[in-house]
Amino acid sequence: MSKLKVGIIVFLGTNCEYDTKRACDFLGWNSEFVWQNDKIQKKYDLIILPGGFSYGDYISSGRIAKLSPAVKSLPIGKTMILGICNGFQTLCESKLLPGALIDNKNIDFISKVTEINFQNELISLPLAHHQGNYTCKNIDKSQILMTYQNNENGSDFAIAGIYDKKNKIIGMMPHPERAMYEELGLTDGRKVFKFIQNEI
Amino acid sequence: MKKFCGKIIVKMKPDVKDIKGEALKQAVKSVVELHDLQCAVGNWYQISFCAKNQVEALKFIDKIAQDILSNEVIETYEIKSLEEIDE
Repeated sequence: MSKLKVGIIVFLGTNCEYDTKRACDFLGWNSEFVWQNDKIQKKYDLIILPGGFSYGDYISSGRIAKLSPAVKSLPIGKTMILGICNGFQTLCESKLLPGALIDNKNIDFISKVTEINFQNELISLPLAHHQGNYTCKNIDKSQILMTYQNNENGSDFAIAGIYDKKNKIIGMMPHPERAMYEELGLTDGRKVFKFIQNEI
Repeated sequence: MKKFCGKIIVKMKPDVKDIKGEALKQAVKSVVELHDLQCAVGNWYQISFCAKNQVEALKFIDKIAQDILSNEVIETYEIKSLEEIDE
């Protein structure tokens, strides 16, 4: 895989930025952090909004992060953007992706490895979220990128991730950056990142 | 400039499942038997600020409610009150 230039946005409360950076390192990509208050001025091949609890999930997940200079200056349509978990929530709150993430159907925090339907294959990725229940009236089904095999959180159409090809924006609740290493017994995250690289 | 205080309630839209409301309903049922019980859970916000007049204040509070306090995809908001208060 060639050296992509990746910007990883860090918000107050983000906690997956180092795992995301490490995944990029593993893939041989050049990555750097972009602070929430900085406008995105450099040219990246991929910008990642990683997982975590930006602004403590105050008001609602991603609700305040959407107002940050980094998010407001995202180069829509010019650079591939990937939102993972809290990143997905932020992209939906920003209306950059359709729909919204609400409380999981059982109001529990789901923390487990689960099976995901992705690219005609069943892969295993970790989940760690409280508001992962994706809801969208009139979803364009061609945008569905991945679905839950067991739909633990009650998402519409079991949607785990969506892809707006026209604007090059992907949002997904599972954590591919936590499924990269043989030592952890999970490597299917590599398939997600390889897919993204092929789309760039 | 005058000082105003706005109170806003944000609730889930009727066609979006209010999961917390359902949980509250189960909790209430476990404590007291009530006929035709319905529960809704939302958020209440109080925001004070200075504005030229009531019209401007209403514009500001409406913008805050729309842009930050609620997500029109899943929530509705209601400005319960907007009063001029002492500084």
